[in-house]
Amino acid sequence: MEETEKVVLASSLCKEYQIGDFVIEALRDLNLEVAKGEFVSIYGSSGAGKTTLLNIVGGLDEPTSGKIVVFGHDLAAYDENFLATFRSAYVGFVFQSYNLISTLTAFENVAFPLELAGWAEKCIGGRAEELLKLVGLSHRSNHFPAQLSGGEQQRTAFARALANDPPLILVDEPTGNLDLETGLEIVQILEELKGRGKTIIVATHDRRIMQLADFTVHLKDGRIVGK
Amino acid sequence: MSKIAFPVKDLARRKFQTSLTIIGLTICTAATVFLTIFGENLGFEVAFVTGGKLSIGFSNIFSRFVSVVGFLNLLAGASITSFLVFIMMSKRMQDIGVMKATGCVTGTAFTYFLTELSIVAFISCIAGTALGILTNFACVHVLNTLGFSISQKPLNINAIFFVFLASILCSHIFGVWPVIKAIRAKPAEALSALYELGMASQLGKPVLSKLGFTLKMAYRGLVRRKSATIQAIVCLAAVLTLTTLSVAGGVIAKQTTQSYVERAICKDVALVCHPDISAQYVNFLSRFFETKETQHLNYSDSKYSISQHLISRLSSIVGLEVDARFVSEATAYEVQVIVIDPEADPPYIEVGDHRSSETLVLGVEPENIVNEWLIFGRALNKTDTYSALIGDSLALEIFSDVEKQEIKVFDQNFRIAGVCLDPLNNGNVVYVPLKTLSPKEEPQYNLLLLKIEPSLHSKVIADIENNISGTQLELVELNGVLEKHLGFLNLVWSSVMLLPLLSLVTATLCLLSYMMLSIAGQQREFGVMRALGTNPKGILNIILTQALIIVLVSGTIGVLIGLTITFAFLIPEPVITLNNIIMVATWLLSAFVILSLSSLYPAMKIIKKPVASVMTQP
Repeated sequence: MEETEKVVLASSLCKEYQIGDFVIEALRDLNLEVAKGEFVSIYGSSGAGKTTLLNIVGGLDEPTSGKIVVFGHDLAAYDENFLATFRSAYVGFVFQSYNLISTLTAFENVAFPLELAGWAEKCIGGRAEELLKLVGLSHRSNHFPAQLSGGEQQRTAFARALANDPPLILVDEPTGNLDLETGLEIVQILEELKGRGKTIIVATHDRRIMQLADFTVHLKDGRIVGK
Repeated sequence: MSKIAFPVKDLARRKFQTSLTIIGLTICTAATVFLTIFGENLGFEVAFVTGGKLSIGFSNIFSRFVSVVGFLNLLAGASITSFLVFIMMSKRMQDIGVMKATGCVTGTAFTYFLTELSIVAFISCIAGTALGILTNFACVHVLNTLGFSISQKPLNINAIFFVFLASILCSHIFGVWPVIKAIRAKPAEALSALYELGMASQLGKPVLSKLGFTLKMAYRGLVRRKSATIQAIVCLAAVLTLTTLSVAGGVIAKQTTQSYVERAICKDVALVCHPDISAQYVNFLSRFFETKETQHLNYSDSKYSISQHLISRLSSIVGLEVDARFVSEATAYEVQVIVIDPEADPPYIEVGDHRSSETLVLGVEPENIVNEWLIFGRALNKTDTYSALIGDSLALEIFSDVEKQEIKVFDQNFRIAGVCLDPLNNGNVVYVPLKTLSPKEEPQYNLLLLKIEPSLHSKVIADIENNISGTQLELVELNGVLEKHLGFLNLVWSSVMLLPLLSLVTATLCLLSYMMLSIAGQQREFGVMRALGTNPKGILNIILTQALIIVLVSGTIGVLIGLTITFAFLIPEPVITLNNIIMVATWLLSAFVILSLSSLYPAMKIIKKPVASVMTQP
């Protein structure tokens, strides 16, 4: 049961990308443990491996070698169908470039994970509205992503990540594309989530977010060089 | 960079899209070139008929088919070019933005992309022309190997050049507008990651949850790429019209022309006559599909005469109908007539040019005729004296207005009662009442056409042989000749049935291109959906639903237009059997299945990629 206490357990994690004749080592022998309810921030220069690490923890990518166990599941051992169900149940993602589905309204984007999880239509509406209210976007629920500002898109992305009430939230540079004031709104949302006891891993350069973290990991050339 | 180097490099960099465009246009050009020269080798031209192996009536059916299909081929080729150039341009919007941002004037950018279009069009049309010529050689070779003497005529360079030029022109005219549309985009618009050529600004009603998750996502994707979706539907509808027309037209035209021949020659018919006459008659029948020289005979020679006594004996055989004839060759003359025309001054016009032609003249007893030709006008009847039924080739060769004119044979004028579609002497025939040919004497016969009741075949044949034994006459059954005629038509139409296959390939390429474009545009979103928990099957369902919607909409349009053209204009008095309907339905159903399945390729490609890699695609 000790492993389930540890929400994320990465050991000797390596990830290589083959680009033509070149092999790029995105992660090298990385070890990381994150316990339930912890808020971890990851920082490092561009290309340090932050996004790769988040992708592997969320089951979006698989390591070249090493082991990644999340909520007791050795992710490398499962096929794509299981991983899809796993992501739906355990993980909420917030991407740097928001990645809202452009053909769906803000409301529909938030409702999307609920539809996948098989929620009843009546409950979906209530839940999606509740989440949009939480991020202050009730009045924008029928707008398409192209009609929302960067900050509004990011807040919608947070609402979508929280839809299934996942225990693990992975956030990639949430304030990277936002101005200081809008970024503050995102920091407040993260603070709120921390208060709810969610396990949160955030790749960021934003000091306001790092200050919220239980610990911060410094990545350089795919290795952890400091905690 | 030179004005040629950039387009060449750009096309080479986008190998897949360039190849699809070239293959699509090549196939359309090849099909049109093939139809034009294959038709000519069979003895008819696309635009005007000059006679040849097939009788002119049959040629007209084929010629009309070739003209309509050829025209549609050009249209389909043009719409494919337009659609694929649209796709090519939509992938180049950021390049255009960068070009404009770095100071490239609109005219120069336009020249670059117009050069690309010209390169693609020229390569495709040259390859298509070569492929069409090769296909024609192959088809003629196959027909000759199978025993039909189809001469390989020298290539009609003018016709080929015309098709080549028409293809080049159409592809440029239809292909240039997406280039203009793309070039007109403002630099900031073109550079924006959110901008896509033809992207709809409105997304329709936001909530369609009742349609179900998969259908909703598929519908949204299609509506968002409204311009590309409409273009794909138009393009596929054009190609599917062509496919339907080729399939339905080909199958029905084959059945119909075979039925014309079957009725004209008649099933279960035998000849009784002198061996010289029977050989001559069979040669006249063979002129439908091969050039045959016939010997000069004196048809009135007493050795060819068949006695009235023998005819009476044969007529008494149960299960036998006797059609006694006098066959001869003569020159037929067009008789000029004067027709009243109140608008002319003086108020009449002369119709006819005193033309003449060598023809086969058959004196017949109208009440005993066993043939059942397709007749325009009316058949001869018992009371007719100075009326004639003439063959289709003769009608079109020497007459200006058949319904009003007369024909002169053996110094006698006959009013033209009707025109029949007749393979005998390749449609150069005149049927006149026998009593008019020899009014003063006992009628003279030199050929008997005997229609045998199939159930009594062996007995009747034995009876005939008993009756003619000891005479100079012989019995020749014509079923073998009929089979050869039907076989010939079957092979001709089977060659034409290559066309649906070709258009199916082009339709598949169109859909494939659209799906590649559509999937590339939605790739990131599919990645997000997977990240949020959609399994690969869910993504596959969305893509297949999109393909199915496109195929169903364009298929409905294409099939309806294709069938309307087939039945309304293409074939007179079409013969439609249950087998035909089943065959056409099978073809079209297969086309839809193949089309829908073709979208699996790009779909499988995307769901096999890791989610992270899909999401990082630009």
